[in-house]
Amino acid sequence: MLEAANDFAWATIADIATAVAAGRASALKIVEAALARIRARDPLINAFTAVTEQRALHRARALDEARERGQRLPALAGVPFAAKNLFDVVNLPTLAGSKINRDAPPATRDATMIERLEAAGAILIGALNMGEYAYDFTGENAHDGAVHNPHDRARMPGGSSSGSAAAVAGGLVPLALGSDTNGSIRAPASLCGVFGLKPTYGRLSRARTFPFSASLDHVGPLARSTRDLALAYDAMQGHDPDDPVCAERAAEPAAVLIKRGAEGLRIAVAGGYFKPKTAETVYAVDSVAAALGANRDVIIPQAERARSAAYIITASEAASLHLDRLRARAHDFDPAVRDRLIAGAMVPASLVVKAQKFRRWYQREVLKLFAEVDAIVAPTTPCTAPLIGQQTFIFDGVELPVRPHLGVYTQPISFIGLPVVVVPVPLAPLPIGVQIIAAPWREEVALRLAYALEAKGVAAAPRPSE
Amino acid sequence: MPRKAKTVPKAKSPARRARVQTVDATDALIAASAQALRLPIDPAWHPAVRTNINLLLKHAALVEESPLPEETEPAPVFSA
Repeated sequence: MLEAANDFAWATIADIATAVAAGRASALKIVEAALARIRARDPLINAFTAVTEQRALHRARALDEARERGQRLPALAGVPFAAKNLFDVVNLPTLAGSKINRDAPPATRDATMIERLEAAGAILIGALNMGEYAYDFTGENAHDGAVHNPHDRARMPGGSSSGSAAAVAGGLVPLALGSDTNGSIRAPASLCGVFGLKPTYGRLSRARTFPFSASLDHVGPLARSTRDLALAYDAMQGHDPDDPVCAERAAEPAAVLIKRGAEGLRIAVAGGYFKPKTAETVYAVDSVAAALGANRDVIIPQAERARSAAYIITASEAASLHLDRLRARAHDFDPAVRDRLIAGAMVPASLVVKAQKFRRWYQREVLKLFAEVDAIVAPTTPCTAPLIGQQTFIFDGVELPVRPHLGVYTQPISFIGLPVVVVPVPLAPLPIGVQIIAAPWREEVALRLAYALEAKGVAAAPRPSE
Repeated sequence: MPRKAKTVPKAKSPARRARVQTVDATDALIAASAQALRLPIDPAWHPAVRTNINLLLKHAALVEESPLPEETEPAPVFSA
């Protein structure tokens, strides 16, 4: 007899897939339950912009029929997931959080990451709200409305993968896809209290996703456990000729390695620029460092300058991408995005090239650190979730605007494409994430440490109180 | 009949003068760039665009201060 699908609302990906593969639960019941949760709860969270109900039901039935025929089901069989609405989904326009893209023709092929997850048996059930054109850290959207943090709906979820983090934290799906240019997976993972992986630049294919800043764009998963993150990551790895940046590397499965934990790894805490400055970041970083036995500090050189360089490159690349839209439909942008894009279009090229030169120097210097350590611990966001609409916050004794400063700790890391796992530290009343940063192509190091933290009870995705 | 006192314009402080020059320079950059790029800018957006350009130029100044060797290659795309 099948278990009640509701039992799987907060289940792990592995538990769902195992139950479906063993016939203890049907994919159809699990998808129907996820759709029912979205109908009941999403009006309060506003994470979804489209629900692909018929497609999901069709795929679920096909999986159940395959099992009944005796076929062996793949690793993620019956796992519902959703994707930030900058991923192409067949028959939907790829909104990328905008009003303008609503006029675009529907996509004719899914993004590679969606194809790979579905090839592994996962079932897409919808597209998720996000900051316009991914130029956002707050989760507010002028066209689709703000996403609400499931832990306190008066608070922001972080952005720009706002719907992705909120849907996972709120129990609507166990897995979501996001993108991260300057922190857009990591900041919402931190504020919503879920696990997030921003892989090495070039590791996962961005094919058929709407870009933001090409030399900084990454895609990755958000989930409620390290193992779930690793299972999804493994299903998505591998070269893709449709993304010219996607590295020609064979898949390097990580899920089988995570139980090795911290053994033999040299772990340091980022000092200087990254030294935590608020009570919650001090507590979270100290807890993680103590649990991992991180007994030394490292200084990531010139991190403030790296953030500035990332800021310039982002603004200029994004402005170049949107120049025609700014000429033709400037009034249809979210004003907060439009004004930054216009400014970005006006940055002299000589300054952008200087920022690119600095990136070369910075990359070389930071990579030297990994001769001495395997992973670096750093804060993710400077605070727990601010209120929706909150304009400023106090950081290091100074009142600063919220919007650009939520990425103060994430931008210097993605600037050179380092892999990062954000682990949620379940503080009350609001969680906050800590970055576990590894050397390029060493995602498994960050995942092993995240697993160790989870095993010790230091990291966990807290379930909202209602 | 008493002579009417002349109003002497208040001298601008160096800081205020510098601020005015910055505003003028940014406005000139906005006007010239908008024309060159064929970007229509609603006057209502102008203050926010100016704020954002000044923020970008502040970041750029920090990067420019970096004493990089002249032969440093740009890194437009990261690779490990």
